[in-house]
Amino acid sequence: MNRILNPPSWPTTVKAPLLVALLMFLLSVAISNRVLLRLAETQERHLGTLSGAYLDGLSSSILPHVLREDVWEVFDALDRSRTLYSGVDAVETVAVNSTGSIIAASNPAAFPTGMKPPDGWLMRFSDNNQILIDERNQRAFVHRALTVQGQNAGAIFTELDISTLLLEREAVLWTLVVTNSALTLLLTAAGYLAMRFVVTPIKTLDAYPNRSADGPIELIPPERLGSSSSEFGRLFRRYNAMARAANERLALTERLAEEEKLASLGRLASGMAHEINNPLGGMFNALDAIERYGERESVRATSVRLLKQGLRGIRDVVRATLVTYRAEETPRPLTPQDIDDLRLLIKPELQRKELAIDWQNRVDVALPVAAMPIRQAALNILLNACAAAPKGSKLSFKANTCSNRLTFVITDRGAGLPKDLARCLETSGGVSPIPSKKGLGLWMVRRLLDETGGDIEVNWPPQGGTTVRLNFRMTQGALRDVA
Amino acid sequence: MLRLEGKVPKSQSRRHFVSAAMCAGAALLLPPRALATSQIRCGLTPVFLNNDLEILAALKGYLEVATGRSVQLVLRRTYQEITSLLISGQLDAAWICGFPFVANKAELALVAVPVWRGQPLYQSYLITGDQRIAANIDGLNDDIHAFSDPDSNSGYLVTCALLASKGLRPNSFFSRTFFAYGHRNVVRAVGAGLAHSGSVDGYVWEVMTVVEPELTRRTRVIYKSEWLGFPPIAAALGRAQATEVIALRQALIDMSQSDSGRGLLKLLYLDGFAGADASLFDDIAVKMEIVRRLG
Repeated sequence: MNRILNPPSWPTTVKAPLLVALLMFLLSVAISNRVLLRLAETQERHLGTLSGAYLDGLSSSILPHVLREDVWEVFDALDRSRTLYSGVDAVETVAVNSTGSIIAASNPAAFPTGMKPPDGWLMRFSDNNQILIDERNQRAFVHRALTVQGQNAGAIFTELDISTLLLEREAVLWTLVVTNSALTLLLTAAGYLAMRFVVTPIKTLDAYPNRSADGPIELIPPERLGSSSSEFGRLFRRYNAMARAANERLALTERLAEEEKLASLGRLASGMAHEINNPLGGMFNALDAIERYGERESVRATSVRLLKQGLRGIRDVVRATLVTYRAEETPRPLTPQDIDDLRLLIKPELQRKELAIDWQNRVDVALPVAAMPIRQAALNILLNACAAAPKGSKLSFKANTCSNRLTFVITDRGAGLPKDLARCLETSGGVSPIPSKKGLGLWMVRRLLDETGGDIEVNWPPQGGTTVRLNFRMTQGALRDVA
Repeated sequence: MLRLEGKVPKSQSRRHFVSAAMCAGAALLLPPRALATSQIRCGLTPVFLNNDLEILAALKGYLEVATGRSVQLVLRRTYQEITSLLISGQLDAAWICGFPFVANKAELALVAVPVWRGQPLYQSYLITGDQRIAANIDGLNDDIHAFSDPDSNSGYLVTCALLASKGLRPNSFFSRTFFAYGHRNVVRAVGAGLAHSGSVDGYVWEVMTVVEPELTRRTRVIYKSEWLGFPPIAAALGRAQATEVIALRQALIDMSQSDSGRGLLKLLYLDGFAGADASLFDDIAVKMEIVRRLG
């Protein structure tokens, strides 16, 4: 509805024909007005000429009778003139003598002999011999003075019926209206078809990039490319060339991301091996102690406790890894334990770089957000913070909920995230940071955010380092969107 | 078509054609000697529908056949012109009104008198518009009145005599008068409203009710005079016995004896022509005297 009321949003195929129709309408009004004015001028000129000829003929025939005030002959001449000048459509013709008294009229009942014509009727005539037209009453008025040797002998007054002329004018008007309307409709339809033909290539250009919003850019098929000599043919080919290049870059990015993933996996496996290896030494020592001094209750108890502690540690590491990397068939809510598992996953990195972490997890219930991508995104940021943080420094992690939003705030005291990488993170649907291989993990975070509908803010605290804030909407629909 | 104006029913048009054809046929049968004799010049006035050229053609055709002479029909606007031509000998005969005949009785001789509805008499009518409620001439006071001709009996003298008998004159009784120079014109003037009333020949008005009913329909007869002598065909006294006049009289009186003559009489709505005595017009002389006495 809003689009209908907003002309700028109308399609070009509609706007252009409507513009043509509007211009045609304005043109029609201007032309019709001009034609009707000219027609009216021509009709008035012809009417003036015709009525002049009528009065001249009548004057010459009745002048002797007017001089003699011969009532019958004047009437007879007026009466005969009605048939002789049938094209004039005289309604009333009155002949008066030099004093203005009626000698005879074509309609004696309305204009009796010997009387003077009504003043109201005489006022409709001009002072000179010009014709006056009363369109409202469909009448024209013209008179002719009768003079003999320069003396006033009388006059003839004629009231003409011009309804035929006005009907002709009306017929011309309707002819113009109908013709112009038909032409406008025809040109509008032609304009619509022409615009459809013209914008078809543009619509093709508009449609193909949209089709590939979630994957490789779709190429325009060869059968739609058209001739390479046409503008759009060349444009389509340039588009396809750009699409191929973009697709190649996307494929390369994905391959690099996969390699990065494998590298991360290697680091994770290395960390896991370290985590498992650490307790293993103690566990073997405990086993040796049991083997050697197993008869001692205190040694046995201590060794068993150490074995349990070591196995528990191994179990936690294995379980966290399983939970993190196990492919899930359906999305599930994020639990407080999922967040705490992140600490276990980065523990090797923390230990490797002798980092401390301020861990504040204020989430105490399962949240309606997709657990897997969110935790993966947070893990990537945490690993990135570990990598960036100087040895022996302190990290900060805060998980909180507020106004239906889940927020992770991760702070390190590193050199600070480069601006271009921060922009890459913050820009939804941004391009990959290739050829810089360094930001691949962050680019994957961006993709995970796009997938979950989350957003990210990067800040650089005055005391140094980087603060990254991850925000996720908590709605029941969020799980379905990810699914 | 020879008609100048007015309409004639189709049946009449056929009759005109038949009669004209008969006249033409008869003319072809005449001996060559007949056409070689002197011409008859005959004057006509609006005592009948002399505007109908078809009637004039039929009349001319009949008279030429019946007299064996060529005939010239002479028309003028006024009765006076025809009377003057007749008296001055420029016409052999003329169909004039009873009034000029009586007025010039010493110089004119009767040739024949038309017979209408069985007698050589007719009436003068006073007519008004069909919407008028006047019952007699008294109701026409202050009218614009149309007369036919100042030398017309029915179209002027009768009304003047009627008013004179009351001690009135037309110019004082009517607000305005004018002459239309033709009984048919009087009917047109009254029908159109140009005149409120008019004096007209009764015979012409009755014929018009058949020939041009659309004109008479708009008029109403409010007064009919007594029967008066029908407008006669007269000749100058000195030429009363001329062969042309004798031949003309015989042709007129014999009109009802031939098919072509009967066809012409049908067009004229007359029974025939007859000889008559000048005393037929004595009543007109009386009216002249009444008017003269008033001065």
